[in-house]
Amino acid sequence: MNDYTEAEVQRALAEDLGVAEQGITVIRSDAGLVLCGEVESPHRRDEIVRLVHDRFPGIEIAADIGVTRAAAPTEAEELA
Amino acid sequence: MIRIAAVGDVHIDRDVLGRFRPALEELPDRADVLLLAGDLTRHGTEAEAKCVATEFGGLGVPVIAVLGNHDHHCDEVPGVLAALTDAGITVLEGDSTVVEVDGTRLGVAGVKGFGGGFAGRCASEFGEPEMKAFVRTTGTVAERLGAALRDLDCDVRVALTHYAPVPDTLAGEPLEIYPFLGSYLLGQAIDSAPTDLAVHGHAHHGTERGRTPGGVRVRNVAHPVIKQAYSVFNLARENVSPSPASGI
Repeated sequence: MNDYTEAEVQRALAEDLGVAEQGITVIRSDAGLVLCGEVESPHRRDEIVRLVHDRFPGIEIAADIGVTRAAAPTEAEELA
Repeated sequence: MIRIAAVGDVHIDRDVLGRFRPALEELPDRADVLLLAGDLTRHGTEAEAKCVATEFGGLGVPVIAVLGNHDHHCDEVPGVLAALTDAGITVLEGDSTVVEVDGTRLGVAGVKGFGGGFAGRCASEFGEPEMKAFVRTTGTVAERLGAALRDLDCDVRVALTHYAPVPDTLAGEPLEIYPFLGSYLLGQAIDSAPTDLAVHGHAHHGTERGRTPGGVRVRNVAHPVIKQAYSVFNLARENVSPSPASGI
């Protein structure tokens, strides 16, 4: 795992049309990679992990990816 | 008072259909208009845009959008635009629209925008043709945004972009990518008119609030930033707009 691999992972996440995620942070750890960020569905989180597993076999991956909440706001901002 | 709902970067595809809808059904009780700040689709296909139309169409309030970089990725912009406009969504790119709410005219001018960076750390129109084209692109769209804002005849004036007009709302993003997230030229365009509010998306790791050098309030409404279906901003008609700081 080096700078070049880290860059390849980042680009794969953005450029693979099945993923197309630019908002995932790739962090190198002692054990491998930690993927952090938020996506719009659990399916996308699974696809990200699957993509990195498939493209970069041998690298241990920990995914810390959440699904962005989509509830109605509880209050408005008053711009007076 | 005008109540403005806004969200960006919803990145809709089939797997997201229905997630926003419960909150959107409540939107007419909370807001008079919905602004969509680009990156409506996952990678810009007409099929994804039809999902956007399903999710955000027929809300009972006007929906006004700009496209984002993701909406351009598959080079299907005409199909994307057709799907959105067929659903009654107004898509702006260098132009504007006026919505009347209880006798108050809300004017929204919009562009996708582009990158280039911010004062002291920005690209210049110099050197290779590719670099000049990059910076010229931003300059052109910023000029169109400024003209659209200045030409608006309305009571409340809002700028809608995908790319950021100020660095304030990028806080949390790596400094190294700021030039790919926005441009001061957009801020200068916003400050060239008495703008009341500027809304953008694009920066998923940014922060919500900022101001242009001219004092216009800026809000980053990227969905991962606001962490709710949409934010609502209540703007009083009697708000005093700042004087134009500069022309472009």
